[in-house]
Amino acid sequence: MTKKLLIVDDEPHIRMLIEQTLEDLEDDGVELLIAENGEEALRIIQEEKPNLVFLDVMMPKMNGMEVCYKVKKELNLSEVYIILLTAKGQEVDRQKGLDMGANKYMTKPFDPDEMLTIAKDILNN
Amino acid sequence: MNHSTSLKALKSILQRDNASKALLKTLSQKFNADFCIEDSNQLLLWGDRGAFVNSVILEYQEATLATFYYSDANALHIFETIKLLFQKEWEKKKIGKEVLGLYREINMIYGLSEMISEKIDAESIAEVALQEAVQIINTSHGLFLMYDADKDEVLEIAQFGNNPNSQTNIDKQKELLKELIKKGTSAIVPKERVVKNPALRHLKAAMYAPLKVKHRTLGLMVLGHEDEIEYTAAELKLLTTIALQSSSAIESAHLYQKGLKEVQDREEAIRKIHDASQKFVPSEFIKSLGKAKITEVSLGDLAEREVTVVFADIRGFTSISEGLSPKDNFLFVNGFNNRMGPIVRKNAGFIMQYLGDGFMALFPKGPQSALRASVEMHKALQEYNKERALKERLPVKIGVGMQNGKLIMGITGDSDRLDAAIISDTVNTAARIEGLSKHYGTSILLTDNCKKKLENPADFDFRYLGAVKVKGKRKPIDLYECINGDQPKLLEHKLNTTGSFQKGLDLYLNREFAMAAVTFQQIFKLNQQDQTAKLFLNKSATLITQELEEGWKGVESMTNK
Repeated sequence: MTKKLLIVDDEPHIRMLIEQTLEDLEDDGVELLIAENGEEALRIIQEEKPNLVFLDVMMPKMNGMEVCYKVKKELNLSEVYIILLTAKGQEVDRQKGLDMGANKYMTKPFDPDEMLTIAKDILNN
Repeated sequence: MNHSTSLKALKSILQRDNASKALLKTLSQKFNADFCIEDSNQLLLWGDRGAFVNSVILEYQEATLATFYYSDANALHIFETIKLLFQKEWEKKKIGKEVLGLYREINMIYGLSEMISEKIDAESIAEVALQEAVQIINTSHGLFLMYDADKDEVLEIAQFGNNPNSQTNIDKQKELLKELIKKGTSAIVPKERVVKNPALRHLKAAMYAPLKVKHRTLGLMVLGHEDEIEYTAAELKLLTTIALQSSSAIESAHLYQKGLKEVQDREEAIRKIHDASQKFVPSEFIKSLGKAKITEVSLGDLAEREVTVVFADIRGFTSISEGLSPKDNFLFVNGFNNRMGPIVRKNAGFIMQYLGDGFMALFPKGPQSALRASVEMHKALQEYNKERALKERLPVKIGVGMQNGKLIMGITGDSDRLDAAIISDTVNTAARIEGLSKHYGTSILLTDNCKKKLENPADFDFRYLGAVKVKGKRKPIDLYECINGDQPKLLEHKLNTTGSFQKGLDLYLNREFAMAAVTFQQIFKLNQQDQTAKLFLNKSATLITQELEEGWKGVESMTNK
């Protein structure tokens, strides 16, 4: 079955960076999905059930925390692995994010190599 | 950008991007022209592989990327649109790759700053800088060089790759390297110079950047490659940035180390001053005032303590010092003090004051430790005298007197000159008792007050010497001689005659002077070193024929200090 990875960020250049970083996964048959806001992300998650989501926290409409809460606590999609992305300096939200059911936490600026390694590890397991 | 990237760009517009997908669907409906697209691996990217009669190849960079199948010629408009969308997507991806490259660099520099800020020595910073440089710049060899102005040397402090005889080569190229360091600019070394330079013979490309801090250059970072590559301006810029980060970190580390050393030196100086001040004002004294350090005491600080005060004095100092020069005299006194001080401290006492040919010591733990110290001092001198005898020098003897009681310890003086002082009648009495030990011919003399406070009086042997009224005092004081500090033969004699000595003293106090004289005569005859027995013999003999004062109780009245 095709593995799916969803990238959620409202900033186009960050989306592009993450997409470029994870592009090599397409060679292994991973399908990359993109969402520009929380609402779109929630819809795609429900429809596509991606294996992994890189979810930005600070977004208009519905922020990453809410998306995470709805996915994990309301829709009970525990199989969707969620990595929250937050700008450095907002680490105080870390515990809050984990309380919302996020599986992991990464700070921006992220290390592209580390992000790719983590994504590969999670998709392979 | 390779074939795989191009294919991804195509997939992106056909399968991922909602806007382009919607546009193609609309066009297909408007032109009423169906189509499908297969990639070069015959994988379907769009539509169904129906019975299309025509096909056209989508080429990019002279390679087949995909095949566009159609029936209606109108579909070619859609094909043109796809080509345009693909071109845009491809360019976007190209920019994306460049941005990611820049982002990696920023991230590396960010990580480098974090990593090197934790290091506090140049070597570790250099190691990290080279490691990071390898991560981001295509390079096989690296050197981190620093110039030591004091030694006029260029030193390799870190390297990677196999750089044969690097330090020897560096030494050979010292003048050139110094010049480059002085210049403080970065550059890609022209290929012909790399080839010509014997020190770079293992390399085919090289570049360097200065380790600059403000207007100074600390050294150079050199990177090289064993393969035929060409370093780019962007790579040189990156190396320059890494070198700049490193040099700032090294400068901070130097300042930190310098600061640390200054603090350590200052602490060491303070410790030395503290140690020295402790020798002038004993720490026990400071502690007695409830202070931890001498810096905490101030004029007027005082504390009341019960202690045993011991005075020790060299007997016959004048005769010993007579034949000595002032310097030798000083050395002799120092030699004596050097032997006595440790004994005092070992027994929980401290020297309060040196008095030329003697000293005053305080024993806060009381007379047991004071008496033990006094006996040990005598024994130490007996050993010392054996050495002196071999050199035909006069023996050193001391008289010790002690009193126990309360005293005030305090800081006296004025705001510009302070001194540790003790004020007490106990001190005066102890000094008088020590003076009396000369009169009685005893080695250690103590008051009744001291003897009563002994925790284990059985550790010592005593002779009671009657009461004495010292100058300036109305109340008589009972005196005891502690005999354990005497020479072994004299000690043995005194131990054997303790009973008869006490008997003689009882007769003396009962005014039976003739009998007393006989008793003391017998004791003295047994050992003529027993000066105390001789004193009482003389006193008894004198009193036989003398008329006694009214109320005579045998109390010795001392008129001298």
